[in-house]
Amino acid sequence: MSGKNKLGRVLADNAVVILFILLSVIAIPFSGFSVQNILQEMFTRLGRNSFLVLALLLPIYAGMGLNFGMTLGAMAGQIGLIMAIDWGIAGWRGLVFAALVGTPLSILLGWICGAVMNRAKGREMVTGYILAFFMNGVYMFLVLFTMGAVIPVRSATILLTRGYGIRNTLNLDLVRASLDKLLMLRIGPFFIPVATYLVIAVLCVFIVWFKKTKLGQDMRAVGHDLVVADSAGIPVERTRIIAVVISTVLACYGQIIFLQNMGNMATYNAHDQTGFFAVAAILVGGASVKKASLLNAFLGIFLLHLMFYVSPRAGQNLFGSAMIGEYFRQFVGYGVIALSLVLYAWKTRRDAVFAREVLKNNGSSGHSDAAKEGAAK
Amino acid sequence: MKISLKTPKEKRRFLIRIALVLLYFCVTIFVLFNGRGHTILIDNKDADDLSYEAVDGMEVSIDSQESAEYWPGDRDKAVVRGQKHKIRISFFDEEIPEFEATFTVPFSVDMLILSVPKMLAGIEPFIETFVAPDFVDTFEKEESAESFDSFEDMYDGLQQEDYYIGS
Repeated sequence: MSGKNKLGRVLADNAVVILFILLSVIAIPFSGFSVQNILQEMFTRLGRNSFLVLALLLPIYAGMGLNFGMTLGAMAGQIGLIMAIDWGIAGWRGLVFAALVGTPLSILLGWICGAVMNRAKGREMVTGYILAFFMNGVYMFLVLFTMGAVIPVRSATILLTRGYGIRNTLNLDLVRASLDKLLMLRIGPFFIPVATYLVIAVLCVFIVWFKKTKLGQDMRAVGHDLVVADSAGIPVERTRIIAVVISTVLACYGQIIFLQNMGNMATYNAHDQTGFFAVAAILVGGASVKKASLLNAFLGIFLLHLMFYVSPRAGQNLFGSAMIGEYFRQFVGYGVIALSLVLYAWKTRRDAVFAREVLKNNGSSGHSDAAKEGAAK
Repeated sequence: MKISLKTPKEKRRFLIRIALVLLYFCVTIFVLFNGRGHTILIDNKDADDLSYEAVDGMEVSIDSQESAEYWPGDRDKAVVRGQKHKIRISFFDEEIPEFEATFTVPFSVDMLILSVPKMLAGIEPFIETFVAPDFVDTFEKEESAESFDSFEDMYDGLQQEDYYIGS
């Protein structure tokens, strides 16, 4: 391959990352934020969002693409938080309680999600997306109509004035920043939420360890080729369900960590964009539908949130309206998902063409395994 | 459903699952009781029948929270976690020694009122459940029981009866 082709390939493989770095480099000076300000915000946002984004990794390893069904886990986490606030459980204990309430719910929802996805192999992403819409209806019914009417709610302050249904916005004062403040370290001008980072580090260690276990290897085999994995005796459907269940449970914990950092909860909307922004973040980091790593997750969160943070102010300073930046935020979110999916499809086709060429050239001298694999794609 | 526990591996797996379920319930109960928040209203007022009198200047702290100053007629709040608490009172009159006591609050109660003068006088119960007066209920009851000539009369009547929370 010539040097020009190589460069083109590298640029194409990392198009989204390069695009985001360029946009950020342009937007930062116009935003007028100091480096210190931006870095502090990035530290906070990394702590807030990392857990949610890392929850996407296992389904990607299992070949199920980007798990838009993680919204179900976020709903379970929110129900846990509603219970914790209703019972007046404060501090980190409130978060643990919310996680304990959310865990069985998210396992159940994850199992349902996995079972549905097993019936829609090859279309997991759109299935997860639509399933999240459906489950949103169930969640609304549960929270808006049954809480206070069928499910007992102790605290009248969280109920709507009609006597049942949870208020649109829930004040999370009892658990606000309780994980972040558990171990806050000050390094120079920066405040680092060490406890939150420790929890994220534990999850990273878990993911690295899990990949090496028998189940983790099975997951990767399933992700590589369903038929071959099945022939090798791996319980494909069970493995896929486990991947989605773990992802949903992690999304539940991620949403709890996210909301404790925010300090309040939009009861009926907070989970809506959870999957969408997590997916956008991991794609910005250079991941694809088939391949993702811890580095992709962290790089993506950094770049996406850097863009989210500086773009409204840059829009304000450039065009006199912060709405431009807000519009840009939505546009970038959807745009990056679309761009990544298009690039993924294009790369797959390009690899297949390349492999076919290699196969043609080596036609007489035997076929290489890589060429065969590429041509099959 | 029949659980087969033939092999040692199956037995071990079953035991681990039971242990996990038990751990789940134990941790839930621990955080439920240990993290339950209560609002304690600390009161320094005279009794209506003058059976006890407000303390003439003191500093009160609950558990390891920051202390607050109280003068006669003052009321402030402290938000605590768990059921067992320690109260420390230091008086402005330096001749009176510091007072320390422990007390327990019921799990199910959100807001309590702790009368410091009552506690110092040894009158039980010095902690009582605090129920905020429900303005709407009282308003409706009052409206049906009495007839007012005008809105101003009704408003004055309610003011006199001290129905407004915080008045």
